[in-house]
Amino acid sequence: MTDLLQHAFNGLVNGSFYALLALGLAVIFGMLGVVNFAHGAFYMLGAFGAFILLNEAGVNFWVALLVVPLALGAVGMALERLLVRRLVALDPLYNFLLTFGLTLILQDLLRMKYGSQPQPYPQPAGLRGTVDLGLFDFPAYQVFVLVFSVLVSVGAWLLLARTRVGMIIRAATERPELTRAMGIDVGRWISPVFGFGIALAALSGVLAAPMRAVSPLMGADLIILVFAVVVIGGLGSIFGSVAAGFLIGMLQALGNVYVPGLATTSVFILMAVVLLWRPAGLFGREETAV
Amino acid sequence: MSPLLSVQCINASYGEAQVLRDVSLDVAAGEVVTLVGRNGAGKTTLLRCLMGLHRPTAGTVTLDGADITGLPAHRRARRGLGLVPDDRGIFASLSVEENLRLPPGISDSAWSMDRVYESFPVLKERRKFPGTKLSGGEQQMLAIARVLRMGARLLLCDEPTEGLSPVLVRQIGDILRDVKAAGVTVLLVEQNVRFASTVADRHYLLAQGRVAQTLDNTEVKEREHELLEYLGI
Amino acid sequence: MRRNLIPAISTLAVVSLLAACGGGAGGPSGGGGKISDDKIVLGVINDQTGIYSELSGPNAVKAVQMAVDDFKAKHGDDAVSKNIEVIVADHQNKPEVANTKAQEMYDRQKADAIFDVPTSSAALAVAGQAAAKKKLYFNITAATTALTGDKCNKYTFHYAYDTYMLANGTGTTVTEAGAKNWYIVYPDYAFGQDMEKSFSTAVEQAGGKVVGKKSSEFPNTSGDFSSQLLQAPAAKPDVLGAMHAGGELVNLVKQYNQFNLKDKGIGLSVGLMFITDIHSLGPDALAGTKFTDAWYWNFDQQNREWADKFKEKTGSRPSFAHAGNYSAAMNYLEAVQAAGTDASDDVVKNLEGKEINDFFLRNGKIRAEDHRVIHDVYLAEVKPKSEVKEDYDYEKIVTTIPADKAFKPVSESTCKMG
Repeated sequence: MTDLLQHAFNGLVNGSFYALLALGLAVIFGMLGVVNFAHGAFYMLGAFGAFILLNEAGVNFWVALLVVPLALGAVGMALERLLVRRLVALDPLYNFLLTFGLTLILQDLLRMKYGSQPQPYPQPAGLRGTVDLGLFDFPAYQVFVLVFSVLVSVGAWLLLARTRVGMIIRAATERPELTRAMGIDVGRWISPVFGFGIALAALSGVLAAPMRAVSPLMGADLIILVFAVVVIGGLGSIFGSVAAGFLIGMLQALGNVYVPGLATTSVFILMAVVLLWRPAGLFGREETAV
Repeated sequence: MSPLLSVQCINASYGEAQVLRDVSLDVAAGEVVTLVGRNGAGKTTLLRCLMGLHRPTAGTVTLDGADITGLPAHRRARRGLGLVPDDRGIFASLSVEENLRLPPGISDSAWSMDRVYESFPVLKERRKFPGTKLSGGEQQMLAIARVLRMGARLLLCDEPTEGLSPVLVRQIGDILRDVKAAGVTVLLVEQNVRFASTVADRHYLLAQGRVAQTLDNTEVKEREHELLEYLGI
Repeated sequence: MRRNLIPAISTLAVVSLLAACGGGAGGPSGGGGKISDDKIVLGVINDQTGIYSELSGPNAVKAVQMAVDDFKAKHGDDAVSKNIEVIVADHQNKPEVANTKAQEMYDRQKADAIFDVPTSSAALAVAGQAAAKKKLYFNITAATTALTGDKCNKYTFHYAYDTYMLANGTGTTVTEAGAKNWYIVYPDYAFGQDMEKSFSTAVEQAGGKVVGKKSSEFPNTSGDFSSQLLQAPAAKPDVLGAMHAGGELVNLVKQYNQFNLKDKGIGLSVGLMFITDIHSLGPDALAGTKFTDAWYWNFDQQNREWADKFKEKTGSRPSFAHAGNYSAAMNYLEAVQAAGTDASDDVVKNLEGKEINDFFLRNGKIRAEDHRVIHDVYLAEVKPKSEVKEDYDYEKIVTTIPADKAFKPVSESTCKMG
């Protein structure tokens, strides 16, 4: 039983990354209708950002955790203004291809500079070792990742559910045209929302640096799985993406123990089942489906 | 006196299909004016052009003497245009109260929440509900209350009585009369000419994208049968 | 707009596949009397941009070019040919690509010998082409013992290392040093399965026991190995044997450290490690870990001199694969020089049974029976950061495993030279 709980807990830690990535992806998709393939690349840039700051400027993890998402969020806003915006009126496939191409460019730039070998990133001071969770010990850093991700998710939820900005984002996600007719300059919010989604990807990248291999391909491996998470959670559903993220992390971890070899496949099986059973995803609203 | 809203020779099309041809009309401040016409006559398209949600191919729209033809929708809203769309346009992901609070107040004439709740007590009761959990009539009230809360000077109402019971239609009529009494101007798209004649001052009959006739209330009453037949009701 | 996501994701899958299949660099083409086509062509097939591009990759090509330049400088006007070319192909670690590239190199680009080829399945494909075309192949970076076993052939030589040598070096030594109970984690594909078997055999022969083993999906998209690691303590092992390579190894070791398995009395032993992996993790993450190395740049003055030249050309320190590529290319050219021709059969005759001592091959010998190139190998230990004096100064050589003990004895070889 303790074993089971321990594995489930471990799954939640992995789910943290899925949740944060899926949340950003869902916000961007909801507001812009853009499937941002470059999300994985920004996750990778987040991890590299932390690595580069540490090695070039001696900037520690805690500062990187704040600075890197802000900086990459700004890059995201610029990207939206300079490129994504021009393609929004066309078939969504155009922006999908744009962000896919961008991913390849970013990966190769990093590969030219740093090679494909993973780069070293130490555990942040203060979070080395393990903590006693009562039933079992768990690495302090992993516990931090989970707690931090839950806080960020709750924070994002409060922002969306309780603030005026959140209300505008929800309205604009649902009916952009009508929201404009209500006197709201929806265009003004698009860049910040895109930047916010990118910042979340960067944030999970920084979080990943001390526990995952920091390499140019780290995001490409992960992004397909995160797409599955978003589909399972319900496209554009903020709560759904976060819940599905944690759920799938757990499913994968338990799968690894009890049906090794099927752990990743099971995610896609679940996706297929969910799509057949509830085409709008577990938490999506039916009317937003086909 | 120059009219509050003046539409000059508006042309609009969806792809190849031309929907509006040289439509011109005026609405004076304080007036309630209806647009009557069959389905597909171009009524809703005209409202969308006025609101800035559809780009006309030619023509100008003037509000209070200022040319607003090139303005985006949100700036038109801030100048006093309030849209009540044909599907009521209630946001499902927002509560009733959030639906009311969404539009920014644009002038001194913006209704306070208290005033809204006083006039529409049912909305106060349901303020925590998701917007789409309301009945059709309540949604209609919400849609109208929302633009009043914004402080719109000119309501663009697209078939507010469609699908409502006679009791509710009467209630909407009362609301529109109250609105008018409060000095708000209304441009009303309506197929129910009998209802229209009870609230409106003048009527434009739209046919195949053109203004076919301008009628006043007495003419409407006299020619009600002819009009109903024409409208296919 | 929402309904477009599903087709978009399908498109994504197709596009990723297409991207994965594209690319691949062809080298300049060439043609090879006594010297065929009047030139000697050395081909390098390896991973130019992917997960194995650091440990061999473009720098392995530079190492082969260094060997060509040094050979020319050494023999001057007496060189058997002044026209020596190096050509390259990227196989993206895919056996079918390696097979096509090898065929192309031997047939159209007149390659006389191919070098390197990481990824065992790809190496076996190239060995098959070498046998069919009767041209030489020197494997350096692939680990499978099949190249000198069931799948051996007259034209293929295996340099540097193999799974037997790794398991024998690390598995035996660590077990004999007292870590009797092993928990082995391995990636679920040919290399990992091969490593797991070799290590299990070596551990048991040394009197130890494999108390648990756990595979991980390959590739491991989530980058997470905690499931495998969490299950280890229950089996009460003395040592965790990690059989992963490259980036996966880096991830695994990070998580091993985070779960504090060391404090729970579970040591870490790594099956295959390149110096580039230590560089990635930082030496502290691996401090004290023992592994078998085929060659270490900072072992002695001779190695260091070569490593300095390598650094001039590439800006970094060589892995054993880089040094192995140089040595293989140099010894091939010397054999051509000695034979006076690049005709494959004559060169093979010159190489077979040859005893060689160079900076890479210490007490080296090319076994005629199975074409295993044997030499001294090293049991190394990763230094703690406090002892690291310069970049890449990561290893302390614990013992030298003599050439005749390091590799699978000929008596056990299943190779039948045709």
